[in-house]
Amino acid sequence: MQRFSAVYLGVFLLYLVTHFIRHPQPTYQQWHAWISHPVMNIASATFIIAVLVHGWVGMRDVVLDYVHSLRLRLLVLALIALVFIACGLWALQVLLVAAR
Amino acid sequence: MANQHAAPVFLNLLRIRFPVGAVTSIAHRISGVLMFLGLPLLIYLLDLSLQGPAGFERAVEYLQCTSLRVASTVIAWSLFHHLFSGIRFLLIDTGSGVNLQQARRSAWLVNIVGVAMALIYLWWVL
Repeated sequence: MQRFSAVYLGVFLLYLVTHFIRHPQPTYQQWHAWISHPVMNIASATFIIAVLVHGWVGMRDVVLDYVHSLRLRLLVLALIALVFIACGLWALQVLLVAAR
Repeated sequence: MANQHAAPVFLNLLRIRFPVGAVTSIAHRISGVLMFLGLPLLIYLLDLSLQGPAGFERAVEYLQCTSLRVASTVIAWSLFHHLFSGIRFLLIDTGSGVNLQQARRSAWLVNIVGVAMALIYLWWVL
């Protein structure tokens, strides 16, 4: 899962970088049209999901390595999960509104 | 007093050997955590930039103020270092570049390219 999501994230990021090299300073109209294009919109939503999966696994590994008290571990993991869920919903909502 | 010497206490940070691959590896973790911390900021900027032309202008202005320029450069470094060291780990896992000399060389390459890309980003955002 971690590698699978990593490959998608990597490919999407390379696309983002090449896009920004080709179109360095977009106007609002260009920016909005790009994000709201169906293919880009769905690819971005998939990117958000991949970030959530990849980030959760990574952060969980880091917490398990450095936080040893069971209670604190649960607390920190719960906080991280909350941040990921909130960020994920927020980002997906932004993409959805842009696509309307 | 037999186990007085059981645990070696030698924590002089200047004398602990820290090979380049370890730097790449720990920086992979640090950059991952930094991106997690930067996630709300990035989504906020995306949100703002898509709220009409005025919001877009404000997002661009935010990116050009000093504190956000620093923060976004740190995130850019994290992104590129994490990406390149991640590719390096995947390649090593599949069995390429596993001998020590190659692994050291690729670790140096990843560390340097990560910083270089962050500098290019900084130049781009100016």
